[in-house]
Amino acid sequence: MQKKFLWKIGGEAGFGIMTTGVLFSKIASRMGYHVFDYNEYPSLIRGGHNTYEVLISDSQVHASKQEIDLLVCLNKETFTNHRARLSVPSTVIYDEEDFQIEDDGYKKINVPFKKILRETQSPAVMINNIALGASLAMMRWDFEVIAAIIEKNFARKGQQVVEQNKKVAQLGYTHIKNTAATFISSLFPKVEHEKKIVITGNESFCLAAASADCRLYAAYPMTPSSSILTTLASWAQKLGMVVRHAEDEISVINTVLGASWAGVRAAIGTSGGGFALMVESISFAGVAEIPLVIYLGMRPGPATGMPTWTEQGDLLFAVHAGHGEFPKIVLAPGDIDEMAALTMKAFDLADIYQTPVIIIADRFLAESHRSTAHAAFHTLLSSYKPDRGKIQPTADQTNGKYLRYKITEDGISPMLIPGQTGIYYQSNSYEHVEDGHTTEEAATRIEQMNKRGRKIDTYIKNHFTLPTVIGDLKSASFVFVSWGGNKGPIIEAMKTLQEKGIASAYIHFTHLFPLNEVRIKVLFSLPKRYILIENNSHAQLAKLLRQETGIHITERFLKYDGRPFYPEEIVNHVTRDVQRSTKI
Amino acid sequence: MTTIQDFSGYTPTWCPGCGDWGIGAAVKTAFVQMGYSPSSLFVVFGIGCSGNMNDFLNAYALHALHGRSIPNAVGMKFARHKTPVVVIAGDGDCYGEGGNHFLHACRGNHDITVVVHDNGVYGLTTGQVAPTAQKGFKSKSTPAGIIEIPVNPLSLAVSQGATFVAQGFAGNIPQLIDLIKKGIQHRGFSLINILQPCVTFNKINTYAYYREKVYEMPKDYDPSSFAQAFAKSLEPTYIEKFPVGVLYQVQRPVFTDLLPQLSGSTLLERSRYDDFGSLLEDFV
Repeated sequence: MQKKFLWKIGGEAGFGIMTTGVLFSKIASRMGYHVFDYNEYPSLIRGGHNTYEVLISDSQVHASKQEIDLLVCLNKETFTNHRARLSVPSTVIYDEEDFQIEDDGYKKINVPFKKILRETQSPAVMINNIALGASLAMMRWDFEVIAAIIEKNFARKGQQVVEQNKKVAQLGYTHIKNTAATFISSLFPKVEHEKKIVITGNESFCLAAASADCRLYAAYPMTPSSSILTTLASWAQKLGMVVRHAEDEISVINTVLGASWAGVRAAIGTSGGGFALMVESISFAGVAEIPLVIYLGMRPGPATGMPTWTEQGDLLFAVHAGHGEFPKIVLAPGDIDEMAALTMKAFDLADIYQTPVIIIADRFLAESHRSTAHAAFHTLLSSYKPDRGKIQPTADQTNGKYLRYKITEDGISPMLIPGQTGIYYQSNSYEHVEDGHTTEEAATRIEQMNKRGRKIDTYIKNHFTLPTVIGDLKSASFVFVSWGGNKGPIIEAMKTLQEKGIASAYIHFTHLFPLNEVRIKVLFSLPKRYILIENNSHAQLAKLLRQETGIHITERFLKYDGRPFYPEEIVNHVTRDVQRSTKI
Repeated sequence: MTTIQDFSGYTPTWCPGCGDWGIGAAVKTAFVQMGYSPSSLFVVFGIGCSGNMNDFLNAYALHALHGRSIPNAVGMKFARHKTPVVVIAGDGDCYGEGGNHFLHACRGNHDITVVVHDNGVYGLTTGQVAPTAQKGFKSKSTPAGIIEIPVNPLSLAVSQGATFVAQGFAGNIPQLIDLIKKGIQHRGFSLINILQPCVTFNKINTYAYYREKVYEMPKDYDPSSFAQAFAKSLEPTYIEKFPVGVLYQVQRPVFTDLLPQLSGSTLLERSRYDDFGSLLEDFV
């Protein structure tokens, strides 16, 4: 049975909860464990409540769990908010000076955060490092590991900051060693020493974009895609990439269309509201046949919605984005590894089909870290070879004129990178003839519409990929159907169900649009209980499947409170219904 | 050497007598005189009667969306900063729909040349008012006269950081040719606002009107003086007169000069990054 341990820290926004959480994840990974983390923060800089939870396991883990094993409370709110997720084996770290805990059977450990801050004359923001030191002592991990990671993390801020952070962390660590020895967790032994990286969905996109030879990235900050802009901006000079924070999202997309037209691979990132501003230009890319990669990070709408929370409410918006009819591809990764693979594929598809490709990701995937093998990820990045399709630096002039929108069987016209002497052409937002000049002539309109439309057929034939089936469809007593970051909680739920002797399977969609009706229908032809799981209230994947394939999934488990699914919720939903049907 | 013919595409569909004919001729002549060929420069067209020049002018070109030609041009410059990029836009296109892009491109001193056809109306949609129309101008969308005062593109450009600001008149082609050439030769954001009679929908700002109202820069005018340029650009706000010529020209590093990534080859030509090991170290 897979062993899992959940550490969670909470405190006032502005006190380094996020930094501490990432450090804890990285340290756990360095200590040889697998990690998955999840954080919650309000849309403000100071005064709200931040939390960060890290699940540690002896084998690959894809989601968190509800029961907290070690809760570190930097204020009373953390304890109050999470009381329901504690059980008798749980341990709570808190400062008695701050608040008292009634004896509910948890292990209670007093760490005098405030006293340590006073005695060392440290600023209040260092409280998180005391907590980190105390946490690591609880885990029985070496202080050297934390010292090394503090040095790496705070090096930019100077030696004095590094030393002071190390000092308070040491005090937290020693306090536990000296006073709470009996409480120290006897954590399961680490099982592997393979070097790992700990990355979010957004960071996976950044790494993959670098590998895919993306040379311009433009964005306007908007949660949950902002960290792509800031990460790539910090790498820009190293990569030789131009990273552009433009005046608005309309400029963002049009800047990238200009660069892509001029021959370089380019991408943009945004969230729902910014994406809405870009939509006219997506249509422009469609008719002018300009390659474009769009990262769409989803948060709960409508309008400003709940900026820092998660949802899958923009699937149908992405699928239908853009006035008029033109080919468009929508891909949805379910975890960090799929994010990398699909991002690279997105750059290829944008070039091959000379059309917009949207990578859609929920905030849960975008901003949660997971560990993955360093060597495999490095191989993935370094072995990738760009496929630019029919984009070419020189054009064939033997037949006279170069035709930008030449009618072809597969719908794809050779795209000359502008600049070749003796040739010129225009790309056009108006309907156009083969050489790019504007037309309103009926027959030409149909020819060009059909030409662009044939790209969809070519994609279905050459690049559409069926959903991944996890588990065995034939022996499963029911089948989950979902997409995006729900993949992790579903996989973890399936493990729990397996332990209970219940076999399940999961149809995980990644290539969401266009869909191949014939091939998908096969997966839904078994007499099974299919359960749709989505982080939205309209069951958008179900609607899309019905619209594109005629498949109608009636059982739906939907969540739209801004929070991701927990595996236990999925297990409970399923087993509750099993019991109910048994009674009937 | 190229000729006007090399740059001539389809026969223009502009109304007989439209100021766009003069601008079209000036643009082509300027390109020829500068030694360009249709293969050696990029042109982005907005949407409107001005943008319709896309079919009449031969070049590597992008006929963009209404209002968005400036960011397209900025993106082209990121990819290929050694290639000249010219924007052909209209007043509604550039100062209305795309106003935000215009002022931010001035700030960035992006090395593009923006040629704006300023006729005070939306010609292609049959004569509604444009943001440059004079207060009180009656049009189909403002039958009682426009309430707003006109946008002042010249003072906007000077104040927001453009480094070349000029104004021409479609009825003076030799001067237009000179201004367009100077604008393209200038390294930095260049605005050439062209007063352009719309013979079909604007019965106020006619050729005769502009012949009476335009005036040349005084002999002692110093276009490198921000104070003089700003004062000059504001004159049309309180006197119904229009200065023509180069109002402002200063040197400031262009946006791409300040990107170390572009100090050698262009973004298109540089070699691919491949040190993924060093990137991954951030995440261990």
